[in-house]
Amino acid sequence: MKKYILKRVLTSFFTLLVIVLVLFILMQFMPGSPFNDEKLTDEQRQALYVKYGLDKPIVIQFGRYVVNMFQGDFGVSYKISKNTPISQLIQSRLPISINIGGMAVTIGALAGLIFGLIASLNRDTIWDTLATIISVIGVSVPSYVFALALSFTFGFKWQIFPMLYSTADELNSSILPSVALSMFTMASIARFTRTEMIEVLGSDYMLLAESKGISGSALILRHALRNALIPIITVLAPLIVDLMTGSLVVEKIFAIPGVGSLLVNAIQSNDYNVVIALSFIYSALYIGIMLVVDILYGIIDPRIRLGKEGE
Amino acid sequence: MKKRLLALMLAVVMTVGMTGCGGGNTAKDTQGSSKEATTTNTKGGGSTDLNVMIETGVESLDPQQATDGTSFEVIADFTDGLMQMDKDGKPIPAIAESYEVSEDGLTYTFKLRDDAKWSNGDDVTAADFVYGWQRAVDPAVASEYAYMLSDIGQVVNAADIIAGNKDKSELGVTAVDDKTLEVKLNVPVSYFLSLMYFPTFYPINQKFFEECGDKYATSADTLLSNGAFIVDEFEPAATAFHLTKNEDYYGAADVSLTGLSYQVIQDSQTALMSYQNGDLDITLVNGDQVDQVSDDEAFQSIGAGYLWYVSPNISAVKELQNKNIRLALSLAMNRETITSEVLKDGSLPTYTAIPREFASDFSKDQEQFKDFCRDDAETATELWEKGLKELGTDTVELEMIVDDDDAPKKVATVLKEQWETALKGLTVTITTEPKKQRVNDMQEGNYEIGLTRWGPDYDDPMTYLGMWITDNSNNYGLWSNSDYDAIIAECTTGDLCTELDARRDRLYDAEKIVMEDAVIFPIYTQANAEMVSPNVKGIEFHPVALNRVYKNTVKTTD
Amino acid sequence: MTNMEYTPVESDFVLKDNNDDISIDTNFASQNFWKEVVVRFFNKKSAVMGSILIILIAIFAVIGPSMNEFTFSNQELSQKNMAPRIPFLENFGIFDGGEEMSTTTGSKVINSYVEHGLDNLYYWFGSDMYGRDIWTRCWQGARVSLIIAVAAALIDMIIGMSYGLISGYFGGKTDMVMQRILEVCNGIPRLVIVTLLLLVLRPGMLTIIFALMLTEWVGMSRIARAEMLKLKEQEFVLASRTLGAGSFFIIFKEILPNIVGPIITQVMFSIPTAIFTEAFLSFVGLGIPVPECSLGSLISDGYNCFTTHPYQIVPPIIIMAVLMLSFNLVGDGLREAFDPKMKEM
Repeated sequence: MKKYILKRVLTSFFTLLVIVLVLFILMQFMPGSPFNDEKLTDEQRQALYVKYGLDKPIVIQFGRYVVNMFQGDFGVSYKISKNTPISQLIQSRLPISINIGGMAVTIGALAGLIFGLIASLNRDTIWDTLATIISVIGVSVPSYVFALALSFTFGFKWQIFPMLYSTADELNSSILPSVALSMFTMASIARFTRTEMIEVLGSDYMLLAESKGISGSALILRHALRNALIPIITVLAPLIVDLMTGSLVVEKIFAIPGVGSLLVNAIQSNDYNVVIALSFIYSALYIGIMLVVDILYGIIDPRIRLGKEGE
Repeated sequence: MKKRLLALMLAVVMTVGMTGCGGGNTAKDTQGSSKEATTTNTKGGGSTDLNVMIETGVESLDPQQATDGTSFEVIADFTDGLMQMDKDGKPIPAIAESYEVSEDGLTYTFKLRDDAKWSNGDDVTAADFVYGWQRAVDPAVASEYAYMLSDIGQVVNAADIIAGNKDKSELGVTAVDDKTLEVKLNVPVSYFLSLMYFPTFYPINQKFFEECGDKYATSADTLLSNGAFIVDEFEPAATAFHLTKNEDYYGAADVSLTGLSYQVIQDSQTALMSYQNGDLDITLVNGDQVDQVSDDEAFQSIGAGYLWYVSPNISAVKELQNKNIRLALSLAMNRETITSEVLKDGSLPTYTAIPREFASDFSKDQEQFKDFCRDDAETATELWEKGLKELGTDTVELEMIVDDDDAPKKVATVLKEQWETALKGLTVTITTEPKKQRVNDMQEGNYEIGLTRWGPDYDDPMTYLGMWITDNSNNYGLWSNSDYDAIIAECTTGDLCTELDARRDRLYDAEKIVMEDAVIFPIYTQANAEMVSPNVKGIEFHPVALNRVYKNTVKTTD
Repeated sequence: MTNMEYTPVESDFVLKDNNDDISIDTNFASQNFWKEVVVRFFNKKSAVMGSILIILIAIFAVIGPSMNEFTFSNQELSQKNMAPRIPFLENFGIFDGGEEMSTTTGSKVINSYVEHGLDNLYYWFGSDMYGRDIWTRCWQGARVSLIIAVAAALIDMIIGMSYGLISGYFGGKTDMVMQRILEVCNGIPRLVIVTLLLLVLRPGMLTIIFALMLTEWVGMSRIARAEMLKLKEQEFVLASRTLGAGSFFIIFKEILPNIVGPIITQVMFSIPTAIFTEAFLSFVGLGIPVPECSLGSLISDGYNCFTTHPYQIVPPIIIMAVLMLSFNLVGDGLREAFDPKMKEM
C-alpha cells in the first residue's frame, strides 16, 4: 500500500507539470494580449512585452516560470492589480473561497446523504417523491438565481443575513453564499445516494446480513452505506474542487473577494500569469483530492486495493 | 424496522434544522448589536464615512501605472497634483499656489504651496513632481499613459525618452528650487493646465518610493498621501477598502467627510438592494432598474463622457467602401429609441463625432450634420437601394463585434433589428467578445463592423478628432483623407495652436469631413444612472479624468 | 489416494443428452428481455408521467413558436416589459396584464396594456425588454436547449463510457496512463478551456455542444470506471474469460449490460448538467449568440430584471425544472425496468 501511495504521489506530480505546460501553450492561443488597450502605441506595447519577458520564446518563458514556481513565485499580475505578486493576491483570496466552499460541501453532502437515505429507505412513498422533487429543484434552478432569491428574501426583505460579504463578519456573511452553492451538491449527492442505496439494499449480502440478525441502523450504516459510498465519493470529489476554487456567479452576487471572480477577470483581461497560477492551484487541488479518493477506495473496498496490488 | 429508521433519519434532519435555526438567531443578534455599535459610533464620534459602490476593482494605485477610471478616482482621493478640478471641471490650483505662462506659451512655471505635506511628514517639493514625471516617461516603467506627456502634453524630449533615444533626466521639467517647478513644451498647448489634474502628472516621494521597492502601492503601508484622504485599508484587487480623512491636509478644514468606504459590487441588483438597505450612499443603476427608481429624488443621470459609435471597416469590406451604404447604415439607426427605450440611463442620442456636453459644449448644435446623420429610416432605404445598385448585389451580410457587457449587447440587439427592418437584404450577425479581444480584433482590422466607445483624455475635441488621421492605431477602419490630416496637423502643432477661436472653427471643418464620409456612425453619449442618497451633497462628477471628487462632499446623518 | 492412474480418452466426453426440452423451463416461460423492460417501464406511473411531460415539452418546442403572431426575434420596443395577459383568464383578475412593481419609493400597480390602449394584444407569458414575446422565445429556447443537451449527453455517454470501461477493465499501466490523461484534461478549470474554445471558434450551437462534450465526458467515464472496478472481479467475468472471450467482448457484451442502470442515471444527470453549463456560459457571455435564445440565456436575461419584472424569469425556469424532473423520473423508471431485481426488495 505504501509503495502504491508513493507511486501515485510521484505520478501526480508529473501530471501537474504537464498541466502547467498545457496551460502555457493554451495561453498562447488566447487571442489578444494583456496590453492591447486602445490608448497604447505599438512601441509601448513592445516595451511592455520586453519588461515582462513576453518577447522570449515560449520554451524559455516556460522554463523560467517553472523554476520560479518552485520558489513560490507565480510572477506578477499584468492587469488586474498591476505589478502585484500573484502569490500575494492569492494568499488573501484563496482562504475565503475555501471557507465558503468547505461550508457549502459540508451542508450539501450531509443534506444530500440524508435526503438520499430517506428516499431509498422509503422507496415509492411520499417521502421518496418529496426528496426527489427537492433534489430536482436543486439541480434545475441555476445557483445564481437561487443566490439572488436568497439575497432578496433573507438579505433585503427580512434582513436576517448580510447581503454583502465582509471580513468583519465572516461567519454570517458566508451563510447565504454557502447555502446557495450547496444546492447543486446536495441534489447530486441525494440522487446518487438513492440510486446506490437501492442497488446495495437489493444485493444478496444485505439479505445475508439481515438474516444474520444485524439490526437496523448498523445494517444501514455499516453494510449498506459503506458500499454505496464508492460511487458517491467519485461524484463528490470534483464537486469539492469546484466549490473550493470559488464560484464565479455566487461570488459576484455576494461581492466575495474569492478566487472564482479573480479567474474570470483574469481571463477577460488576458492576465496570463493570474490565469495560469489560478488554474495551477485548481489543478493541484483537483489532483490532490483525486489522490485521496484513490487511496480511500482502497480503504473502503479492499477488493480494489488487492486488484491493483496484484498487478 | 423501516419505521425506526425513518424516525432516526427524521431526528437527524430535525437536529440539523434546529441548529440551523439557532444559527439564524445568533446571526440576527450579532447583526443587531453591530448595528447598534455603528449607531453609537455615529453619535459619539460623528463618523460620516461615505459608502461608495464601484463596479470594478482598483487596478493600480501607482499614479504612473494606473489607466482606469476607478483607479484614477481613488488615487485622486489621496493625492493632489499641481492643479485640481473645480466642480465644472476647470483647473484650479492645488499643490501649485500660482503659475506663470511665458508669452510664447512654451514655458510654465509653477510655484508650490509651503504647507503641502506628505503623510510621512515630508514637504511636497518640486523634485517630487520631477521624479513622478520622469517615471511616467521612463521606458523601464513602461507607463501606458506616457503619451500624456509626449503627444498630448508636448513636454520637451518626452517622445524621445519614451522611444529610448534620450535619458529620462533630459525631460523638459526642472525643479528650480524646492518650491518652484519649470516645464518646457515643444509647442503651445492650450489645455495644458487641465492636464495637471491627471494622475499621470502626480508627484512621487522618491525616498519613500525607493524604501518600498517592488511593494509600492500594494498595501496601505506602502502608500503615501498628500491629499484629502489617507488609505488605511487596502489589499491588491480588494473588493472593499477604506480611506480616512487626512487631518494634516492643507485643505483639511474644508473636508467634511470622515472617510470613504469603497465596495466593489459587480451585480447591479445586489447593489441597488444594498443601497436601499442603507449600506451604500452612492451606487450605479442598470437601465433595467430605472423603472424602479425613476420616481426617486435620489436618482440622477450623470454624463460619463464616452461616445459610443459604430466603426465600419472601410478599407477591408467591399460593401462598406460604398458611401451610400455607410450613410444608409447611419441613417437607419434610431438613436432616440435606443437611448429612451433601451438604455434609459439618461444617455444622449448623438449625431456628431464629438460627444455632447463636452469641451465647452463643442457639440451643442446636434443638427449641424443632419444631412449625413439623423434618425431617418426612409432616406436610409433610398440610399441603401442606390448603394446596392452601385454594388450590383441585393444582399449584404455583415458581422458586428461587440463587447459582452450589458449596454453594448442591448444596443447591438436593437441595432440589428433596426437595420434589418429598414434595409432590405441586409443580414447582421452579432458576435460578442470580451472587450480585450474586441479591441484586438479591431486594431488588427479583423472585423466588419464594430461597436466601440472612446472616453476623452483631456478637455479638447482633439482627443476624438486625433483618432481618425491616417495610420492612427484607433482609426480602425483605416480611413484616410489628406485634407483631414492637414487640418489636424495645423491644429495640433501648426499655426493654429494659439489662436483658439480659429482653431475651433477648423476643428468643425474636420468633424464635418468625418461625418460627411460616414467614417463612424455616432450613437450616443453615455450617461450613468446613479442613486445618490439625499443625505449626501456636493459630490462632483466629471466626464473627464477624475469621474468623482469627494473633497467638498457633505454627508448629514439623521 | 491410490496408485491407480486413469487417462481420459476422447470417448469419455460425450454429450449426454442434447434434446431441446431440457433447456426449456416450462415453469417460467421465456420472455423477450426488451418486452419485459417495456412492460415494467409502463407499470411505473411516475416514469410514464415523465415521458408524457418530455413529449409534451418537445411538441411545444416544435410548434410553440408558431402558435401566435410573434416571432422569437421580432422587437416591438413600444410594447416592452408587458406582464402576462391571457384571454379568458384575465376576467378572473389573474394574467390580466397588470403587475405590481416595487420601486425604491414604494410599490405601484401598472398595466401597460391599459396605459397604451392595447385592448386586443395578448402576450401569454408577457414580453421582454425589447418587446419580444416570451411565450415564443421560451419554446424556441426549449428547442435549442433540448438539442444541445441531448446531443452533448449522447456524445458524452459514448466517449466517457468507453473510456471509463476500458480504463477500469485493463487496470494497471493502462489505467494509470488513462487516468493521468483524464486528470490533465480535468485538472484545467473548465472555464479556461471553454472560454478559449469559444474565443477561437465562432460562437454558435455546434461550438457549445463541442465545449460541453469536452468538459462533461469525464464524469461519465468516472462512473463507468467505478462500476467496472466493482464488477470485473465477479464470477461471471471470470467464467466468460475462461470460456475464451476477448477483452472487448467482455467489456461491451458482458459488463456493459450490467451497468446500464448507473449509466442511464448518469445520462439523466448529463442532460441537466449540459443545460446548466450552457446557462452558465450564457451568464458569462459565452452562450448562444443573440437574438437566438436557449433556456439558459432566457434565464440569464430574466435574472437581470428579477427584482423589476419577476414574471420574465418564471416561464423559462418552470420549463427547465419540469424538463429536469421528467428526465429524472424517466431515468428512474428505465433503471428499474432494466434491473428487475431492484424491484424485489
